[in-house]
Amino acid sequence: MAAKQNGNKGKHMALKRRTAILAALAAAATVLILLWKPTVINNGLQQAGLYAAIAIPMGLVLGIVHIVNLAHGEFMMVAAYATYFACKALGMDPLFAVLPAAAVTALLGWVVFRLTIQRALKAPELNQLILTFGIAIALTQVVNILFTSQTYKIPLEYVSASIDIGENTFPVWSYVFVATAILYAVGLRLFLTRTTAGKAAVAVGQNPRGAAIVGIDVNRSYGLVFALALALVGAMGALFLTKSAIFPQVGSPYTMKSFCLVAMAGIGNIPGILGASVLLGLSEQLLRAFRETRAWADIVFFVLIIAVILGRSVSWRRKK
Amino acid sequence: MKKLLSSLAALALVSGAAFAQSTIKIGGIWTLADITGKQGSAAAQLAVEEINAAGGINGKKLELIVADDEGKADKAAAAVEKLATVDKVEAFIGGMASGAEVGKIPAYAKYGKVVVATGAASSAIVEKALGPSPGSDYYFHLHPWDYNQGASYAEGWDAIQKKYPRIQIKKIFLAYEEGAFGKSSWDATKALFGADKRYTIDGAPFKSALLGGGDYTAVLEAAKAFKPDLFLWAGYDADALPMLEQAKALKFSPGIYLGAPPGWPIGFGSSKLARNVSLYGMWSPAMNDTNAASKKFYDAYVKKYREEPATYFALLSYDAVRILADGIKAAGSTEPAALIKALEATKYASPLGETITFKSSNIIKHQGITRQKILQWQNGIQEVIWPFEVATAEPVYPFPAWK
Repeated sequence: MAAKQNGNKGKHMALKRRTAILAALAAAATVLILLWKPTVINNGLQQAGLYAAIAIPMGLVLGIVHIVNLAHGEFMMVAAYATYFACKALGMDPLFAVLPAAAVTALLGWVVFRLTIQRALKAPELNQLILTFGIAIALTQVVNILFTSQTYKIPLEYVSASIDIGENTFPVWSYVFVATAILYAVGLRLFLTRTTAGKAAVAVGQNPRGAAIVGIDVNRSYGLVFALALALVGAMGALFLTKSAIFPQVGSPYTMKSFCLVAMAGIGNIPGILGASVLLGLSEQLLRAFRETRAWADIVFFVLIIAVILGRSVSWRRKK
Repeated sequence: MKKLLSSLAALALVSGAAFAQSTIKIGGIWTLADITGKQGSAAAQLAVEEINAAGGINGKKLELIVADDEGKADKAAAAVEKLATVDKVEAFIGGMASGAEVGKIPAYAKYGKVVVATGAASSAIVEKALGPSPGSDYYFHLHPWDYNQGASYAEGWDAIQKKYPRIQIKKIFLAYEEGAFGKSSWDATKALFGADKRYTIDGAPFKSALLGGGDYTAVLEAAKAFKPDLFLWAGYDADALPMLEQAKALKFSPGIYLGAPPGWPIGFGSSKLARNVSLYGMWSPAMNDTNAASKKFYDAYVKKYREEPATYFALLSYDAVRILADGIKAAGSTEPAALIKALEATKYASPLGETITFKSSNIIKHQGITRQKILQWQNGIQEVIWPFEVATAEPVYPFPAWK
């Protein structure tokens, strides 16, 4: 028994040591990059914020409803279009449309869930993928037919805000995505641990049959989570419009990126999505900062996913 | 009863054949979900209606049958097959993306009908696939090839520097999207501007928003460090405003800021950021003041469709129908050999501000337009600054520093 305890203690110490070494290495690398290419950290963090804020709602749906929503980015695209036309019609700033956009996509999410996804919850995973993929195509094509493939963008003064430090100029607007991602992560944690609906959703996510036995309306919980996730992605649609031009296919790459970030973080691991996004954002910007490595910036995304999933698989086998 | 039915069927056949004989069918293939295809097909229809209203061609009505290539080579090939075999068209017009156009070429060659192509700039892909005369003589290419475009830009900037000595270009930076379009622009820029060492060239790729990118800070930082006199970017309309916003955030204001997307986003001109951004193109509504054909086309298009032509592809498609109709009229038939001969004598005053004739290019025998224009956004309008004979305004230089 004592030998086993000593062994565990040894393993724990080794783990602590390894974590401390990794943290020290990360800190040293950060300092080096800051001195060498100070804009990399700034740009990387802002890009990470954008990735995380879009991916977190997908992580929520996957963690609780256990559905990979391949129409995730397309719902954001629809919210961005709704925001654009509302802003044009009413002459308002997209920032004032964040809450209405969230409400509209939440409602759309609820309807889509009740009409389609709820009926496929017990179907094989492939059918669920085909269903959400079909929704993605339908949304893209409807927008394409209504508004053509031409791009829309609202020019905004404040998105060009920047700070000068020494000889460097640091754009700062995209920190709004960092703040949004943190708000989403903290808000969801509070919702899932402090509210009755959130606790019920967690229970449903962990054991739907057990949750049903104790009287939780499983489908209602699923619908609520799906609508909540779409509200978050809808709010991001309005924010996204401040930075990017929109067109029917604009959401599709973010579906893929979000799915990969969720896979890197592990299902249901929302803080993990933040970490994976930081890793991805910084790696991309670091590679883009140098002439010789610019072309590798896209590949790093796949390298990271493969490395993380392989690493997790090896560690799981060792534990076994 | 049987007799009556047979008579009716015979009558239907005879009247159908008579209708077919009194109509000349042309097939138009565009990417209809794209604004260039949507407006291109609309402008072609406008030309058809104008021709029919003026009595048609040699007593026959013109009919346009439109097919969608969805921007894909396989769909484009299928569209040619369908138009040639099911609709039995006599000639083809249309096209925009080289990737889709190349899919049509084997089918075009198989049927040997005359084609008046409105798009496809890639020489390496499309012109090479067409091959030399006489195998490609059925193909009349209106849009300049990429090497024509590059040569005209070099010629234009040389002429501008000569006429306006305060504009001096020594260093050029190209930000190019990572795809085939951007890379071919980079190769052409290096070849055309870097060849005789008169200019110092640098460039960097970026991921277009169209392909999931949209963060231009790295490429703009590289450009800012290079301090170019001429900064140009080759990407898509989705990149136009975000790149300007990020350039402003980085306080990057080169002497000339030039964009070369196939089209511009809706409302770009009304943005303060667009002020004095230069661009490459073929046409602008500003030309209505100096060119009667441009004004006539513009007014008719706006009256019919209640929107402005957003890109020059609308005018190219309109021209394609007009040139084809003139050719059929002169040839007196749609028989390919006669029609090719008639089209070779084309001298068409285009609303694009030039007279289109067909000359040999590097590979094919029938190349129409070879020169593009240099324009600049001034007070929300695209003004032509070169060629000087069709210029609508003087260039504003330098690009203003950000406030």
